[in-house]
Amino acid sequence: MKMKPIAKIYTALIMLFLFAPIAILLVFSFNEAKSLSVFSGGSLYWYKELLHDTETLDAVRNTLILAISASLISTVMGTAAAVGIFRLRNKVLRTSLDTVTNIPMINPDIITGISLMLMFVFVGRLFGAATSLNFGTMLIAHITFCLPYVILQVLPKLQQMDRALPEAAMDLGCTPLKAFIKVEIPEIMPGVITGLIMAFTLSLDDFVISYFTSGNGFETLPIRIYNMTKKTVTPKMYALSTIIFFVILALLIMTNLMDNPTYAETRRNERRAGRNKADADGFVASATSGTVGGRDVPPVGSARAKFRRRIALAIGGVLAVGMIIILVVAAPQTPVLNVYNWGEYISDGSEGSFDTIKGFEAWYKEKYGSEVEVNYTTFASNEDMYAKISSGAVSYDVIIPSDYMIARMAQEGMLLELDYDNIPNYSHIGESFRGLYYDPDNRYSVPYTYSFVGVIWDANQVDEEDTGDWDLLWNEKYAGNILQFNNSRDAFATAQFKLGLDVNSQDPETWRRALAELKKQSPLVKSYVMDEVYNMMESGEAAAVPYYAGDYFTMLDAQAESVDLRFYLPERSNYFIDAMCIPTCCQHKDIAEAFINYMLEEEPAIANAEYICYGCPNDLVYENEDYAEEMGEEAMEILYPDLDTFAERYNSFAFRNLDSDMLDLVNTLWEELKIN
Amino acid sequence: MRKIIELKNISKAFDGETVLDNISLDIYDNEFLTLLGPSGCGKTTTLRIIAGFEQPDEGSVLFLGEDIASLPPHKRNVNTVFQRYALFPHLNVYENVAFPLRVKKEDDAEIHQKVSEMLKLVALAGFEKRSVTSLSGGQQQRVAIARALVGRPKVLLLDEPLAALDLKLRKDMQQELKNIQKATGITFVFVTHDQEEALSMSDTVVVMSEGKIQQIGTPIDIYNEPKNAFVADFIGESNIVNGIMLEDRKVRFSGHVFDCVDAGFGKNEAVDVVVRPEDVDIVPEEKGMLKGEVSSVTFLGVYYEIIVDIAGFKWMIQTTDFVDVGEKIGLYIEPDAIHIMHKSQYSGMFGDYSSFSNEFDELSDAEVEVEE
Repeated sequence: MKMKPIAKIYTALIMLFLFAPIAILLVFSFNEAKSLSVFSGGSLYWYKELLHDTETLDAVRNTLILAISASLISTVMGTAAAVGIFRLRNKVLRTSLDTVTNIPMINPDIITGISLMLMFVFVGRLFGAATSLNFGTMLIAHITFCLPYVILQVLPKLQQMDRALPEAAMDLGCTPLKAFIKVEIPEIMPGVITGLIMAFTLSLDDFVISYFTSGNGFETLPIRIYNMTKKTVTPKMYALSTIIFFVILALLIMTNLMDNPTYAETRRNERRAGRNKADADGFVASATSGTVGGRDVPPVGSARAKFRRRIALAIGGVLAVGMIIILVVAAPQTPVLNVYNWGEYISDGSEGSFDTIKGFEAWYKEKYGSEVEVNYTTFASNEDMYAKISSGAVSYDVIIPSDYMIARMAQEGMLLELDYDNIPNYSHIGESFRGLYYDPDNRYSVPYTYSFVGVIWDANQVDEEDTGDWDLLWNEKYAGNILQFNNSRDAFATAQFKLGLDVNSQDPETWRRALAELKKQSPLVKSYVMDEVYNMMESGEAAAVPYYAGDYFTMLDAQAESVDLRFYLPERSNYFIDAMCIPTCCQHKDIAEAFINYMLEEEPAIANAEYICYGCPNDLVYENEDYAEEMGEEAMEILYPDLDTFAERYNSFAFRNLDSDMLDLVNTLWEELKIN
Repeated sequence: MRKIIELKNISKAFDGETVLDNISLDIYDNEFLTLLGPSGCGKTTTLRIIAGFEQPDEGSVLFLGEDIASLPPHKRNVNTVFQRYALFPHLNVYENVAFPLRVKKEDDAEIHQKVSEMLKLVALAGFEKRSVTSLSGGQQQRVAIARALVGRPKVLLLDEPLAALDLKLRKDMQQELKNIQKATGITFVFVTHDQEEALSMSDTVVVMSEGKIQQIGTPIDIYNEPKNAFVADFIGESNIVNGIMLEDRKVRFSGHVFDCVDAGFGKNEAVDVVVRPEDVDIVPEEKGMLKGEVSSVTFLGVYYEIIVDIAGFKWMIQTTDFVDVGEKIGLYIEPDAIHIMHKSQYSGMFGDYSSFSNEFDELSDAEVEVEE
């Protein structure tokens, strides 16, 4: 078929549109630097990093365990179901069953996810289980949504099959079972394999349903990546995504091979071939099939059949062996400590760092003489974590929420009081970090990190004399180069601090004044940003931005040559603390306290402080000379500003929970700003 | 001769609809038996009951004297050639034929020898490695036959195996099937709706209609001495008229008293009289036993087929003499050309050619039987 020029361009555009994102992902997975905007030379660095990231590899392993078990089980069940539906003599029953099995496919994922979670929790409560969500529930959920796809693939193959085939086999001496195995299975095999591969890929990348039905110690890759948004997604993930893309591509090609002409289709293709010589197949399909237009099928046909059977065997074999290995590797018998933390919020052994989790397991064994296994999972926001725990469906032993969330959870009775006899290292927590507003009597929490908002500026664009306070962000000299938070509370706070107002005010007037100030600023603002801030600052696209201190160091590492980023902390600014707590659903309080205690030991504490780049309230850390040297003078000055007055400033400037009326007001005002 | 299969008083209904109504049939060793009848007459169901795919509602199936009604298909020493062959598309020619032997776990050397022998018998030597989907209809047919015969069943069941082939191929295959049957000495039970096929191949023909056996006999018996109007009409062309048996060897029909060769009927019994179109001679009008006017003439190559109107009843006559439409002619019928039958439920339904059309007849012949 000859294509007209316009058709050619159109096709090229569509291809570009489809594949450009993947190409960019692929290229940047080989980027030497961390930056997304600058490609600074090819390297396999991120692939190596990926290999050392045990948490991510665990998530990959979990995802594979789940995808393999779910796809195998749903394939067996789905094939059996398809055969059952096919053999029903009652036509009404058959059609209605067919329709009913399709419902999970049409149903939005989110509804499937929520309904499954509800059911699991309900059934769990019925049997008095403390935690009703676990690997099993996730597996059931995945089987549920994979099943219809398998049936959808297998049923047409059965319908295409000559109904006399199984009879012929029985006539020639097969028992009904043997006839099914020797004749029907080979006939429907392409459908079964396609179904298996579809189920596998569906399960592999499912996020929504997994999110609602996942239990505590079992984090799949999509959930882990989602939870990484507290910090940026590292290029490791590009590397991982690239690998996954190619694995899926390979599976897709195999699917196309499997799905190629069976008996009936070959004949249909032959007929079609006469009419339409150049059947525009998908590019994968046409690369792998060879039948279109080919009348001379015999040798090709049998060779392909053999090839197909080999592939089927190979896939089946790989999945089965994988399953066995995973089953042997998985299956812990030791007590499991479930730790629930922000994404990328612990030194995890990647990039040559210290592996805190492994360190704890070894330390615990040495100290208490028994094994413990840590199940480390992550969340993306305080609200996500709160929702998960208050659903009552999961159980965690240690959680690390932010200050205002600790206050709320303590008030709602969701936290256990700590036994500080089990946490002797609490003595290393500086005086400034005790008795803060969220936990005034030090009953529920041990601070883990703290940070604050400051102003990040590019010394190549901003004059130093303009810096030091919030006025920089309103300075017309830098019109069009200023960035602002795309998050109502933080954005309002910059205006409130500038005007000397209370960021936790209950007075609507205060908020209106802040809004007026923000409106004044908005003509100068290039854009309202969150995660985009990294690339814009690193590449010099913007000159100044209010942002979190810890993230400044991340930008510093990746800044372009023409950029010279600096940081300062205005006198009045927002401070926040994340602290370790034990929720009431805890199953091993003594081990949880041992874990908190271990996190305060010198080695893990320093490792975590270096990894996270936030301030650390532990005197073993901030008084350690090696740590100071490692971080550098500038970082030490920024991260540890005058600790004596910390508590005072913290208690006056830290965000507190606003009641819902105030939150509504803030959101309304925020929308007003954004609309203009 | 030894009886291989005996069907005794078999009845079968699907969803309340009677398909077989009290059928009894003996099948003998080394016999080529054909079940002949129109669509829906129950012939395929009979075959499926012998194969074991259907259970009779009533009656018993004996195999060499043993009741096998409850025996599943794979335990019966009976194999089937299916209407659309039912070859296994995922296996090549060799493996299709070897299939029953592999199921029995025979050793490779033996399988190889038997399969080669079979493929030679059906003239497919050299096709071993071919994919069955690449074969022509006739070749697929042969593979199906080879596959069904390789296990040396006592009985081979063939369900309209030639229906999907074109006419010339069908003729060749008929001959070949007959030869294979003779060469192997296996009993063939053959299902067809094509009377010509039935007559040319069979030792015994079983004519069925509406779930009942109408007549069992050799092709010659069936043709010459049909038992009722259905059989007379279904097998070949027949003029069937109402008659009165005046006494032995004297029958009156169409207003004339004829001599005939039949006897043993009641005095003045009402009967059906069959006269085959080729047995009627045309004579000048005044010499005829019956007189009529030619209403149509069709030239069919070897002979003319003419329709003659005799007192409102249309007769078909096949003759080599030419007559013109509208011509008045006389008919002459020899005593042994007249066949007398008892009245039956089919009386009056067949044998009048007033609505006859060749095309119509072929249409109903071509209908492929679908039961279940």
